[in-house]
Amino acid sequence: MRIVEATLFALQIPFVEAFAHSVRSRSSSDSIVVRLRAEDGTVGYGEAVARPYVTGETVAGCLQFMERTLWPAVQATDYVPWAGQEEIAWLGSLTLPAEANETSGVVAWHGSRCGFELALVDCLLKAAGVSLGELLPPRHPVTYSGVITASSVEGAVKHAKRFKQFGLPYLKVKITGEADQERLAAIRAAVGPAVSLRVDGNGAYSVEGAIATCEALAEFHIDSAEQMIPRGDPQALATVQAATAISQMADESLITLADAQTLIAAKACRGFNLRLAKCGGLGPTLAIAELAQAAGIAVQVGCQVGETAILSAAGRHLAAYLPEISFCEGSYGSLLLREDLSRRPIHFGHRGLAKPLKGPGLGVEIQDALLEKYAQQTISLLAKAV
Amino acid sequence: MITLSIRPLIETHYVNQVQVFADSPWFQHLEQGQASRQEYDAFIFNLCQTHLKSPQILAFLYAVAPPTAAPQIKHNLLEELGLDQVAICHPDLLYQLATAAGFDGDRQTHLAEAAQAQIRQLCTDPLLFGTIQELGLSVLLEVTCFEWMLSRLASRIGKALAAHRGLPSESLTWFHHHSEVDIRHAEEGLDSVEQYLAYYEIEAEDLETILDITFRENIFVKRYFADLPAIAGAADENR
Repeated sequence: MRIVEATLFALQIPFVEAFAHSVRSRSSSDSIVVRLRAEDGTVGYGEAVARPYVTGETVAGCLQFMERTLWPAVQATDYVPWAGQEEIAWLGSLTLPAEANETSGVVAWHGSRCGFELALVDCLLKAAGVSLGELLPPRHPVTYSGVITASSVEGAVKHAKRFKQFGLPYLKVKITGEADQERLAAIRAAVGPAVSLRVDGNGAYSVEGAIATCEALAEFHIDSAEQMIPRGDPQALATVQAATAISQMADESLITLADAQTLIAAKACRGFNLRLAKCGGLGPTLAIAELAQAAGIAVQVGCQVGETAILSAAGRHLAAYLPEISFCEGSYGSLLLREDLSRRPIHFGHRGLAKPLKGPGLGVEIQDALLEKYAQQTISLLAKAV
Repeated sequence: MITLSIRPLIETHYVNQVQVFADSPWFQHLEQGQASRQEYDAFIFNLCQTHLKSPQILAFLYAVAPPTAAPQIKHNLLEELGLDQVAICHPDLLYQLATAAGFDGDRQTHLAEAAQAQIRQLCTDPLLFGTIQELGLSVLLEVTCFEWMLSRLASRIGKALAAHRGLPSESLTWFHHHSEVDIRHAEEGLDSVEQYLAYYEIEAEDLETILDITFRENIFVKRYFADLPAIAGAADENR
């Protein structure tokens, strides 16, 4: 099956409230939605998220890479619909380049690739009348965590109380190196002893600072510490892991399959945070998950702040399919976005529980009117006549 | 159990919500005659959509109301339906407004469907609260906050629509009605909230959290202006 048209929507959807971590604060979503139309008229949607401080991609860079590299590759391919093939092999057959040249400042074009891969998966599965849940059958229910922004301690406590009211059993707290103990003490006091807490430093600490912070926060019963030090030498992360009892979770350090192999070899951490837009889509993310499972590394399914229902849907399928996950994030939908793109809400319910998505493709019905409404830039690409 | 007076706490939230709404760029735009005809009509559509299903929402609140608050909510419900002594059906007043604004049959049908869709969404959204008691409180706070706002701003909105959209006075009865009636409703609404809190023995801390959740966005901007384009100075209006 051939893809005959692509439309790229660079969106800006306002948040209900700003979200901050140690690297930046944002008040709107800047996702890029990829809409593909196949020769039979079937339409599929994917989502890319550009994070300069993670993969090195910018929105403008993603749009350019999509237009100049991904779209020519897609329009030149005659895709084989899924008909029961092994999942990683079929996803791998979608042949989407993501390699970055060394001078671009990009680690890998994974956000861009993810946008096209999800749109292809959605389109090809819809054309076959198949749900992604058939390709990746759910193994267990999904329970989402709340994520507490790095705002003031008072604001963080307010968030924690909201999540407690919603019955969420797991919370992740963004930390910055300022008032960490005060923040964790206040949040622990607000949510009580039964709620699982973990922290995320977004690379804000030195090796020594990370070790000292983990020691200082241990009294609050922290289940994992995510990306305390910047992406770089896996040995440095291994030093942190060796010095603290708290499980270290690699996030920005884990973008490519090669990163995963290096982290495992260095015994750098006990957990991987898998995010689709960071790891390049479903195929590469599943490959990393396989490696992690074989090495006894725990996996968490993470998300992008401000992602829409498209990435959330794909993340839910992934989280339900993986044999075992430690935590799951995402599906905040209209809890964070002023309007989400799907006709039916994607967000989780009480206790963070969410149902599997059963509709064709990714299982969400995207409202084109909202794409038009929030698009800051739209690029239409038509296949060249053969 | 609430032991301290919670009225001032709730009133503070209501006052803040109304202030942010009245100061919002779109409210100023509409009141000062700076909006286009299409923008006034979009506002009228959103307002009608928001309030057309008020009887259904009040019926829900009547179902969960404590015995002390139930008579008042029942009275409001009958009033909305025009089944009290005044006998003015409020949804009919909204259709009068829509007709005066030139909404044809198709657009009025679309309006009715949009209002129904909001009820459907309320029912199909995954429920974040663990009990109906908490959901009921959140809905009660939003409804009484609307009454609070209308008692203070309905007259100004009605005058703006007359002056700048050219709507005749008889089509603006809904605004006249709410500016008078809701002064009483607003006070009674606060009584209902207090009775609800006492009956369900809701802790002060939980009330504060539910207030925070209910009013984390400006509910009026969200309902009335959601599909209007952002205008200068509107970046934080939704807080």
